[in-house]
Amino acid sequence: MVADILVNGLVRSGVYAMLAVGFGLVFGVGRVLNLAHTAFYMVASYGILHFVATGLGTPLAVFLTALGVIAIGLALYKFFIEPVREMEATVLIATLAVAILLQELLLVFFGSEIRHVPAAFPGYTRIAGVRLGNQEMATLVLAAISLLGTWLVLSRTRLGLAIRAAAQDREVANLMGINVNRVTAIVMALGFLLASLAGAAVAPLLPVEPRMWMHPLVIVLAAVVLGGLGSLKGSVIGAVILAFAEVLVVFLIPGGSYLRTAIALLIMVCVFLIRPEGLFGAGATEER
Amino acid sequence: MYHLRSLIRHLRVEVLVLPSRVIALVFVIGLLLFPLLTQDPYLLRMLILASLFSIYAASWDLLAGYAGQISLGHALFFGVGAYTTALLGLHLGLHPYLTVPLGAIVATLAGLFVGVPCLRLRRHYLALATLAFPLMLTGIVFMFPNFSGGEGGIWRIGRLASTRVGEYYLIVGVMLVAVFSLWRIAGSRVGLIFHAIREDEVAARALGINTVRYKLLAFAISGFTAGAAGALYAHFARIAGPSNLDLFMSFQPVIWTIFGGAATIYGPVTGVFVLYPLLDSLHVLLPQYRMLLFALLVLFILRFMPQGVTTWIRDAIETSCPSCRVRNAATRRSCRACGTPLRN
Amino acid sequence: MRSLFACLVLTVAVGIGTCGQVIRIGVVGPMAYIQGAHHWYGATLAAEEINAAGGIEVDGTKYTIELVRIDSNEMQPGPEAVGAVERAITALKVDFLIGGFRTEAMLAMTEVAADYKKIFLIAGAADDALLKGRVDKNYDRYKYLFRVTPVRSTSLARVSFILLGEVMDAFRRELGIAEPRVAIIAEQAAWANQVVTLVELMANAPLPFGLGGKHVGTWRPSALATSVAAELSAVERAGAHIVFTVFSGPVGVVFGRDWGRLQIPVATVGINVEAQAQGWLTATGGFGAYMATVGIYAEGVAVTEKTLPFVDSFRTKFGEIPLYTAGTYDAIYILADAIRRAGSLQTDAVIQALEVTDYVATLGRVVFDELHDPIWGPEHLTGLGVQWQEGAPRAFWPREWQPDPAAHPGLVVGYPGTVPYQIPPWVVDHWRGADK
Repeated sequence: MVADILVNGLVRSGVYAMLAVGFGLVFGVGRVLNLAHTAFYMVASYGILHFVATGLGTPLAVFLTALGVIAIGLALYKFFIEPVREMEATVLIATLAVAILLQELLLVFFGSEIRHVPAAFPGYTRIAGVRLGNQEMATLVLAAISLLGTWLVLSRTRLGLAIRAAAQDREVANLMGINVNRVTAIVMALGFLLASLAGAAVAPLLPVEPRMWMHPLVIVLAAVVLGGLGSLKGSVIGAVILAFAEVLVVFLIPGGSYLRTAIALLIMVCVFLIRPEGLFGAGATEER
Repeated sequence: MYHLRSLIRHLRVEVLVLPSRVIALVFVIGLLLFPLLTQDPYLLRMLILASLFSIYAASWDLLAGYAGQISLGHALFFGVGAYTTALLGLHLGLHPYLTVPLGAIVATLAGLFVGVPCLRLRRHYLALATLAFPLMLTGIVFMFPNFSGGEGGIWRIGRLASTRVGEYYLIVGVMLVAVFSLWRIAGSRVGLIFHAIREDEVAARALGINTVRYKLLAFAISGFTAGAAGALYAHFARIAGPSNLDLFMSFQPVIWTIFGGAATIYGPVTGVFVLYPLLDSLHVLLPQYRMLLFALLVLFILRFMPQGVTTWIRDAIETSCPSCRVRNAATRRSCRACGTPLRN
Repeated sequence: MRSLFACLVLTVAVGIGTCGQVIRIGVVGPMAYIQGAHHWYGATLAAEEINAAGGIEVDGTKYTIELVRIDSNEMQPGPEAVGAVERAITALKVDFLIGGFRTEAMLAMTEVAADYKKIFLIAGAADDALLKGRVDKNYDRYKYLFRVTPVRSTSLARVSFILLGEVMDAFRRELGIAEPRVAIIAEQAAWANQVVTLVELMANAPLPFGLGGKHVGTWRPSALATSVAAELSAVERAGAHIVFTVFSGPVGVVFGRDWGRLQIPVATVGINVEAQAQGWLTATGGFGAYMATVGIYAEGVAVTEKTLPFVDSFRTKFGEIPLYTAGTYDAIYILADAIRRAGSLQTDAVIQALEVTDYVATLGRVVFDELHDPIWGPEHLTGLGVQWQEGAPRAFWPREWQPDPAAHPGLVVGYPGTVPYQIPPWVVDHWRGADK
């Protein structure tokens, strides 16, 4: 049973972490609490559905989807979010409206029924006596690669330096000659890229339908704040904790599988009682 | 006679001089006289629900707009109010006039229950932590289906009045009283302190304000009003179910308030009375594109009136005196209070 | 804004009001979803047929049926469902209501129907409490409610329980497993609880009264869960031979896909509403083959002489096999039949006529009991056991069903066109020769 928990938990962690890191980046640099983040992940799933159905190979479909999601995302950001960026609550609702807009557009174009995307890696493998779908394994690998890539970009490149500077203090970074608006756009694009990769990876695993963004949104928000806003390490760890909490609930209290989200959220609230800034969040004085 | 004369005088100098207050007055009178015009149960139903949601949205505005405690889990209070009144009615057979206030009181306690652990949380942490509470309560509701009605909810709930018009006047009356009280609170010293906490909590504390007490007060007042709205809603819709705790239910007051204009109290009311009937009538006109149009409308309004509709309109029809800050109709040449000439 | 809307509603109402002798029937359902679409499809088919045949004659006057589409948006619960029904009654002046899907919304919507004294023929919601505790306890208020399809959830539980017995027999017969182990995966929903309790109880009870197997655990994911891979791993770990499913929501698709994709070595049977839909195989990417569920319609199975013509014309027109919510078709015929017999459109007369209904519909012979529920059982409604075989939903039950072998050994029920249940091949491979 330990092996089951480990394997299932890891796969779930991978997807949540990809979403949480993208969300965390966008918040850290753009200061935008993007409630539409998982809606872009949903759009990516539909993109894969569409392109695979037209007969393109998986790599090309993923590429085109990511490109499309980034383009749509940036356009929506530039037009609707950036002008009101300073007003927190307005941003909240504007991003939520973007999410609903995307949901409804998908509803109009694809209908409400559950759609299926054929797996890029069909079949399954037995690992430590646990059946693990090859698609899940691919998801895990993709999550590892993209997280590693993000980390490399952030820590090893000049762009990463600029991003980190902008995340720490937008004004000062601006004074230092960093084009903060451009950096923000790049980070937004990176966030959309991560969301679309996650969406592409899970499209064959999850029911593709126009409301698939809600549950991951709750989990991602919880993971990001659990880990501490602005800390990418925290986001990853938060995602892992919540993923394992969900899987543990399924295995330990089977009759309560439906409680898995509630229990994951309970863990988040409990962490807040001890550490109000999350596990790795900046303390009250540091954050601006 | 004296009272009447002073009322008229008050009306003339305090209400009729400002277009926004005239609009509010016309709205209130229109709402009260509406059943004389038509008693179409469907239209009454729409206005009743809009009134209920106005209370709900205004309670969010006090907590988030004024005190700056942005809550994304406001459905908790709404749902607690609804479930309390429903459960008391179901298991103890109490009368709605007793259970509705009790529902509001339990929701107040829920406000404090959430408020206490959230005291230490700042802005976004607070918003996201509160998001969790209604979803956790949903889990509890599902755990005890025999007590709470589970997924199906509780549906044997008594009516507030035997006729639709009766319900209308009761709920519209409660709405007017609740919104007016919230408006007065927001304009009072307490409201000023809420403002101060929102703008700079540390500075407020430095001025000797017990911010903990005032934050909890904001949670309590907001919880009470939202709970009352939820309880009345349960008796009107005659069902209290998990949908009252839904994620979207938490987002709705935020949409209405920001759309109408935050930190105004009348903003959320406007937001509800514009958006709710609109959304409902789109049901008939363009059911497929209903939510799509709704989202686009919200996006464009926020894009061009980021402070909300009422703030935008108010700034268009009124100006504030540069020297004494008293608001004036935009048509006036000089301030009505101090006589300072107003620009253009 | 308000007055504009008032005018609008008024003009719509007046516009409709001048259309002559019509009976206006509101079709209630979540129209953006397949369940609601089939509510509408079934109803339009019936209305067109009846109108083409000259309508309904009442007291010398010919009435035609006019349908009003009521989108209750039930999947997103809230005040909308109730509002939609009230709008239909007051603004669009419907005379009768049919349809409905989700219990929570239906409880509230039927209250509105009772308020306005409108007959509501439920076609799509199974919860007992929609009628039980209402029609019997407060007849005068709730006499307006009838259920056409499906049978109430306790009866659904009995059918699914019989189906489970069939599958367990198949394990005994083909694999020599004397005491098959059963796991239950049921969505967390009120209507599922009765089914779960019954099956948990009976699975362990010895034959012939029980099922003579072993219950190894119950998992309750949310009806909207997006992955049940973890649940399935746990089921496999528990050593189950059979998974008994209770799903009405999209989690049914998730289950079917994960189960087939990971080739979990368990056979499935139970209730899975999504598996009744034509799109099942596409939705699960083909992995849903061999899924078995309680159903109403299946490929080439004639429950009554009306079934196949209905399924055929439905398929020609809409390109799909009807879902059980298309029982609105039967509901309209039953209503038309009652109106004809009543010879009046008066609500009370129609109710009296409905109460003595004995009508052979596409889903069986419909007779209402004192709760206004359709009677379940041989010679009435039975439902079908449906399994996806060779790309189509085929019925495996009732085939040689003896409802009561002790009292009536001669009574054997079976519909033409049924086929035997097939244990999925990978399950056979796994358990053949495995230690039992």
